[in-house]
Amino acid sequence: MSGRSGQARARVLTGVLLLALLLLVPAALVVGGSAEIGARDALRAVAAWLGLADPLPGHLQTIAQLRLWRALVAAAVGASLSFSGALLQGVFRNALASPSVIGVSAGASLGAAAAIALLGGLLPTWLSGGLWSPTPWLVVGGAFAGAVLVCMLVVRLATVDGRLSVPTLLLVGIAVNTCIAGALAALQSLTLDDFQIARAILAWTFGTLDDRSAAHALLAVIALSAALAVAPWVARELDLFAGGEQDAQALGVHLARTKFLALGAAALAAAAATAVAGQISFVGLVVPHLLRSVVGHGHARLLPLSALGGAAFLLGADVAQRALLGHLALQPGILMSIVGGPFFLYLLWRERRSTVAW
Amino acid sequence: MVNAAVLLEARDVEFAYGTGAPVLRGLSLELRGGRLVALLGPNAAGKSTLLRVLAGSLRPQRGAVHSAGGALLALPVRERARRIALVPQALSSLPLQTLEDFVLGGRYAHQAGALAATRADREVVARALIDCDLAGCEHNLLDELSGGQRQRALLARALAQQAGVLLVDEPTNALDPEHQLAVFDLLARLARDGRAVAVVTHDMNLAGQYADEVLLLARGELCARGAPERILQPAQLVPVYGSRLWFGSFHGRPCVLPARDAGQAEPGLPRSDQGPR
Repeated sequence: MSGRSGQARARVLTGVLLLALLLLVPAALVVGGSAEIGARDALRAVAAWLGLADPLPGHLQTIAQLRLWRALVAAAVGASLSFSGALLQGVFRNALASPSVIGVSAGASLGAAAAIALLGGLLPTWLSGGLWSPTPWLVVGGAFAGAVLVCMLVVRLATVDGRLSVPTLLLVGIAVNTCIAGALAALQSLTLDDFQIARAILAWTFGTLDDRSAAHALLAVIALSAALAVAPWVARELDLFAGGEQDAQALGVHLARTKFLALGAAALAAAAATAVAGQISFVGLVVPHLLRSVVGHGHARLLPLSALGGAAFLLGADVAQRALLGHLALQPGILMSIVGGPFFLYLLWRERRSTVAW
Repeated sequence: MVNAAVLLEARDVEFAYGTGAPVLRGLSLELRGGRLVALLGPNAAGKSTLLRVLAGSLRPQRGAVHSAGGALLALPVRERARRIALVPQALSSLPLQTLEDFVLGGRYAHQAGALAATRADREVVARALIDCDLAGCEHNLLDELSGGQRQRALLARALAQQAGVLLVDEPTNALDPEHQLAVFDLLARLARDGRAVAVVTHDMNLAGQYADEVLLLARGELCARGAPERILQPAQLVPVYGSRLWFGSFHGRPCVLPARDAGQAEPGLPRSDQGPR
């Protein structure tokens, strides 16, 4: 991929993805089973929400608004997971790294579940209390703590003398995912009698976009913005990571700062995504991977495009499956696992020879 | 020449990986501007480790490396990269970049957080590519280049760093004779321009023909140093490399070859113990 053509493709792709998002948000208001909203009404609902038009009659405006939150959450979660995946793949110099593969999503899940269990009595406010209740922030905090702990563990276990062993990385991912699945199951069985808690935790493991509120959307957007803000400070540095950490250091890269920023942002984005929508795999793996084959390996282009592409991807997948399956629509976490598992196998198959050292 | 400024100095450096046996044992040396120094020594002598300690990539357990009077490790990492360029033998993984983007990596330490390379950066890169005989390959991906071209790509990137000290680890491994000479011609020219150049090599003949000074390393210690004519002699090399060497001379420069039957008389060639002094 020459630098110039990568740049041109990146520009075209940015336009295409922005256009797709612009079309997908109103589309998300139209599709769905419980109420018929036409394309014109959908646009009016968005305008009304922005204060530019009269609201739709009766409950239609509310339904449109719920669908809008769902769409915003889907876009923000997709962007967060994909951006997180692009950062992790850069730090670990491997296309097989992603929040779900190395266990960061699972860590966030366990943190969120632990927070829910501890906050058990306060739980109803998570669903109805809105922005100013402390509960959602504590759940996100729990998810973030879990994600950061897993990140630290993976970095510690998978790097030897500043070199990363890819087999070790993937094995650590397996071990971490297994441990956390066990801990999560234990937590679920302990809280089985408390219907509220058990249901909320179960919903996490599926990954849900149902009943999303303004609080969910705002949480996801704030965390995503904070994570995106580090991109200019790590993009060029991650490019130089490609030859190995010691090589990057010899070129003047501050290793500790770069890893701290990149992994912190990756953990934050993945944690917020997991806290508002549960564990969703695949997005963080595949979107950066596909984009890299179009715009090249430069992180200055790859990182922002990953966020944009992830947003369009998850929102598009959600809109598509609701349009096609209607009431049968799957939770996005389930959908992504069904498609993601085989894709991961394909990736392993294709790259089985390409881990050649220079 | 002898009084040229010391650009990098190691004082009593001791280094071990983890809790293993020390790889460098109380080693001191200085690199002066304008001089090409060859680091020779058998495998596992600690040559590559020494380069990485000198570059500030590894922190010695005892002793210190000083750059222009101050402790090297006290400098910000970017400033270190502006003063010292390290050319590794190979990278631990092959970046999927074009040659030009790869060599632009050498400009990182000079760019204040800017994302785009300036015109001046591109000119430095173009110059480095010409010096390393890589002009015309700018837009090739690294994995489309030959092994020899990749080795020169590493050298080109180090040149783009425009550092006063150049530390080069076995730059001629994958190169044909013409390119071996071209690399050493370039290193000698860089030294003449005032840089301090240290090159690790197993090629004693190139060292003998180009180096101003040879340092002989064995088991993490500096066991001899001096002009090539003085070091590339049986008295110095045999204790370190063993006796299967042939010593001669070529145009007045010392010449050392691995010799299967060293020590046995062979008509027409001087015996190793009769080599010219």
